[in-house]
Amino acid sequence: MMSFAHMHATSYAACVNQIPEAVLVGIADDNKERGQDMAKRFNTRFFETYEDLLRQDIQAVIVCSENTRHRELTVMAAQAGKHVMCEKPLAATIKDGRAMIAECRKHGVKLQTAFPCRYSPAMVQARQAVMAGRIGKILAVKGTNRGQCPGGWFTDTSLSGGGAVMDHTVHVVDLMRWTTGAEVTEVHAEISNLMLHENFDDTGILSLQFDNGVFGTLDASWSRPSSFPFWGDVTMAIIGTDGAIWLDLFAQKMDLYSDRTMRSSWDYWGDHIDLGLVMAFVNSVAHDLPVEVTGEDGLAAAGVALAAYESAQKARPVRLEELRS
Amino acid sequence: MRRVAIVGAGGMGTAHADCYSGMQNAKVVAVMDIRPDAAAALAAQHDARVFSSAEEMMTGVDFDVLDICTPTPWHLDYIKMGAAAGKHICCEKPFARTLDECREAIKTCDKARVTIFVAHVLRWFPEFRRAKELIDAGAVGSPAIVRTTRAGGFPHAWNDWFANVEWSGGVVLDMIIHDFDWLLWTFGPAERVFARGLAYSGLEDKDYALVTIRFKNGVIGHVEGSWATPGGFRVCFEVAGDKGLINFDSFDAAPMVLSRWAGEAGAQGVAVPSSPTAVSPYFLELQHFIDCLEAGHKPDVTPQEAMAAVALSLAALESIRTGAPVRP
Repeated sequence: MMSFAHMHATSYAACVNQIPEAVLVGIADDNKERGQDMAKRFNTRFFETYEDLLRQDIQAVIVCSENTRHRELTVMAAQAGKHVMCEKPLAATIKDGRAMIAECRKHGVKLQTAFPCRYSPAMVQARQAVMAGRIGKILAVKGTNRGQCPGGWFTDTSLSGGGAVMDHTVHVVDLMRWTTGAEVTEVHAEISNLMLHENFDDTGILSLQFDNGVFGTLDASWSRPSSFPFWGDVTMAIIGTDGAIWLDLFAQKMDLYSDRTMRSSWDYWGDHIDLGLVMAFVNSVAHDLPVEVTGEDGLAAAGVALAAYESAQKARPVRLEELRS
Repeated sequence: MRRVAIVGAGGMGTAHADCYSGMQNAKVVAVMDIRPDAAAALAAQHDARVFSSAEEMMTGVDFDVLDICTPTPWHLDYIKMGAAAGKHICCEKPFARTLDECREAIKTCDKARVTIFVAHVLRWFPEFRRAKELIDAGAVGSPAIVRTTRAGGFPHAWNDWFANVEWSGGVVLDMIIHDFDWLLWTFGPAERVFARGLAYSGLEDKDYALVTIRFKNGVIGHVEGSWATPGGFRVCFEVAGDKGLINFDSFDAAPMVLSRWAGEAGAQGVAVPSSPTAVSPYFLELQHFIDCLEAGHKPDVTPQEAMAAVALSLAALESIRTGAPVRP
């Protein structure tokens, strides 16, 4: 595993340790203290440099660095012939994302984007229902991915590429693309910073136009207060000609009221979707199958976040093809 | 005692008449509808006179208040007729179909020195009233982002007029104008609006819109309006500020749920949740209007505010048509 800057790395490491077909050979991290701690926690070796790690007898790596360093680490791994699963958003610029995809292709390694929500059983069922025509033709989609500001490098745009919109656009856009089978062609966004009043964005509403006529919106915000009983949400409403589907991927929870913590919280008991994601990656590598969530998927979703920033700045809708030029 | 004449004996006319019948200081004295049967049926319930022509009603009976519950495009005609006869006016939302019509209505009523009240009933819904109180008191700190949902099936009424977007303005002008009024009341004027929707899609019995509003104070708003959603009528709102969050879902606020195995027509084993209050918001709204007339006060919804809500709806429709952000 390359870098534990993104907190999802701890979850992925635990997943790797649970999968019989996989071995966590080591952790490299430019933050030595963090890397050593994590190596101890996950019962594996720490490597001082990424080069040292890549010289080991490994087939694949998981990249969980800061967003703007995904390219550097992914390219390094690809050149060493290692398959890559990269944390989302795949890249903070179109140029970086393209370079990552090209480099992986050139060296014949797989590139998977870490979109675990595709492995939510509810999401899978909803997509099957859509594909089977249960709600007719899709007319519109409405999504939310609302959470709390993670702090740290997430609020340093030179490392993150952006605030809440960069952090919270890509999961749901990926689910929308996956469910509708359509690509986003145009994005309009209102973006603001009135939650934290800092020099990064913390709230955003994106309006999306898809190439099959479907339209939608997405709330990509850090709008949950500290007192909120849960980290946040991933929800989607799919409106069709014959019905509608509502998804709330973390609704499998119970209410916990504790006098020990003087807090009420939601305790999630549903499936661990990260495990599905990591198992899929391990499976693709072990059996030389195509990855289920590609680098192109990651780039398409990241492109929507980038278009949203441009739209907010220009106060007009932005076509995705404008970014490509 | 204020004597009320109702124009339009459909769903809203019937609801308004029921409210007046429970008041100490109001009484329905006449009902007019171009459908004689509908007018007669409602009038009979209230021991009121029946008319099939508004002109005849103006001169044929003594009354103080004209309550207009017709389809939207006819609001202005009746407002002018009522004002000319010196009647105070209660008009169902939306105020009118165009901004020019709103302006003319305001001018006409000013000139005739009659009060005009547009029935934006959300302001008397306890959950919406309470939410505004909390927000004004700083319960969520400074607001940053607000979301509302108003969703149900497609409405059908006289001549299927809701399906004619030139008449009704679809879900954007007819339904989420409720939310627009509450949002403008709570967060102040809107800077710009961007919307996508099915208003001009030509789809039968389906309208759906997703509207993004940027308020002048920087707050971002998102409004979902649906006449395309099965599963029961649902209202939600959420207001996130820098110190907290308010979240409401009518599906959760159901102190009574009635569910039957089968039998009743339309019930078919479906649970029907209910959120009753001792006094209906419609009653509170109309009682407020009547009390204002008695006391010589201005009602809480001014015609200028009602026009601002129409302006926001029309801006959203224009955005749907053009694909561009619009300043209301």
